[in-house]
Amino acid sequence: MAAAAPFVVLFAWLVFGIWGPEDKTRVILLEDPDGQVGQVEVVTAGGSQLLSQAGEMTVVRSAEKAPIEVRQADMVAVERTFAAALAIEPLLPEKFLLYFMPDSTELVPESRELLLRILEEINQRNSQDIGINGHSDRVGSEEYNKALSLQRALAVRELLRMQGIDQILMNTASHGEGNPLIETPDNVPEPRNRRVEVIVR
Amino acid sequence: MRKCILLCLLLLLVPAAGSVASEAIGSIKNVQGESQILRDGSELMALVGATVFERDLIRTGRNASLAVILRDDTIVSLGPESELSLKEYLFEPKENRFSVILKMLKGTFIYMSGVIGKLSPESIQLETPDSTIAVRGTRVMIQVKP
Repeated sequence: MAAAAPFVVLFAWLVFGIWGPEDKTRVILLEDPDGQVGQVEVVTAGGSQLLSQAGEMTVVRSAEKAPIEVRQADMVAVERTFAAALAIEPLLPEKFLLYFMPDSTELVPESRELLLRILEEINQRNSQDIGINGHSDRVGSEEYNKALSLQRALAVRELLRMQGIDQILMNTASHGEGNPLIETPDNVPEPRNRRVEVIVR
Repeated sequence: MRKCILLCLLLLLVPAAGSVASEAIGSIKNVQGESQILRDGSELMALVGATVFERDLIRTGRNASLAVILRDDTIVSLGPESELSLKEYLFEPKENRFSVILKMLKGTFIYMSGVIGKLSPESIQLETPDSTIAVRGTRVMIQVKP
């Protein structure tokens, strides 16, 4: 009987892929789409393990025991196990910047053209979630710019709505002058900050 | 201690969460096969574009998979026979208030952090039945045995 044990383990490994018989949770750190690698800490009542390199893995076998020592995952087996989740993983949201005339909700001409690209992206993805964030430069008071940023966001939403995008899919927000792309002193005009960010998810 | 603070925070959030419960926290993105969203005791089909709410449970079918995208661009992709609970979600960048608690009950998941991962990684907690996982701005695979 005892001689059969290794075969049982081997059999389990073949059938269940990367699962060891006692494994409860497996965590594998991956590279971000931009090539950076973050960190993951796996914590149980018994201790913790820190993953900090792409492809590193730890396994939890019991809530009371510490996760097992960090090791390099067998990425071939991992890709097999996660094949369905990997195949369904969506594209990253696409971001667009639309620019405006000073103290106005009117788009600059180049941005009017970009609007077509945005529509294309929305339709191509069948996007159900479009974020529209209004921003301003620092000319005028903070309150004024908050209102202006909102008007800009609403103007973009209206332009998209007129092109057939359902309003319910669009989420507008106003950031005022508080979230500039380019830092400037107060009351300095900055065309790159007079913008609406459109995020197509 | 941390658990206690978390619990206190949770209790504080209950009335607030109740008042904004009608606000969608994200939507179902890609769908393959048949999956469900369990909400307040009812079972809904998880179709492309379906909105999801705090406290929803997402359950993928036998040969099914799908992806959920939350308002801050956090993305969770689920393989077959997986269960994900959207326990808590708060994304209010203006007030600097963030919280993400996702519980992976079983199955295969790919988690990719979004804006909250950049602005406030300490507000993100992934849970499995046996562990908690703190993620600092990254992409990670998690498999939970049923």
